[in-house]
Amino acid sequence: MFTEEMGANISSVKVVTTNNTGLGVDHWADRATDHIISVSADAPPAIREQAEAFKENVRSVMTYYMKQAILSERTTICGTLSSQGHNDIAEIIRRI
Amino acid sequence: MAITQAMTTSFKVELLQGVHNFFSGSGGGSAGTGATFKIALYTSSATINATTTAFTTTNEASGTAYTSGGNTLTNVTPTNPSGTTAITDFGDTTWSTSTITARGAMIYNSTQSNKSVAILDFGSDKSSSAGDFTIQFPTPDASNAIIRIA
Repeated sequence: MFTEEMGANISSVKVVTTNNTGLGVDHWADRATDHIISVSADAPPAIREQAEAFKENVRSVMTYYMKQAILSERTTICGTLSSQGHNDIAEIIRRI
Repeated sequence: MAITQAMTTSFKVELLQGVHNFFSGSGGGSAGTGATFKIALYTSSATINATTTAFTTTNEASGTAYTSGGNTLTNVTPTNPSGTTAITDFGDTTWSTSTITARGAMIYNSTQSNKSVAILDFGSDKSSSAGDFTIQFPTPDASNAIIRIA
């Protein structure tokens, strides 16, 4: 007779909250990188080192381009506010 | 009154009945079109656990930027990352510029009459104040993914 034990499991989530501000670029770059690359703890040291180095590279690229995206979005918001006569608010956003 | 983390019992039965499809989007061939999964937040007054069969508004969290029913999740097509374990995952979800206090959450299938999938206990009240309230899903591997069948 053939039998096999199966198990359905659920893990915990982590909740991150902020007050009067949003989460920073570094947080999102870390999250994106963790979802793209995961390095096994059992991997041979040489492969593990190479994978970790690659992961750091990906993290840097993610951080850079996320910052660029934020700046572009801010420019769009400032432009929209300015064109509607809200120059003071546009200036506040430009200086963030 | 308590929130007890669990994969709901009704979900386990419905998995075997083929009720829940975690495929991401449409065009999955024999997998068909995936369902829409949502996550709702609950206060510490809620009583939700393995016996909860569907989404409920009783003791659901409320506050600025929170709408009843919660956020729609971005599901990741189930995979077999290693060994004999199958997993599925969701992208992190955020209530931006929100003022919310919640003690737990329910993942449910809004395509299938809001049938429950899992109850999540945050361990303590979590609060945002004019900020972000983000639920961060664990690493999607065979040991840590949010939903695993081994």
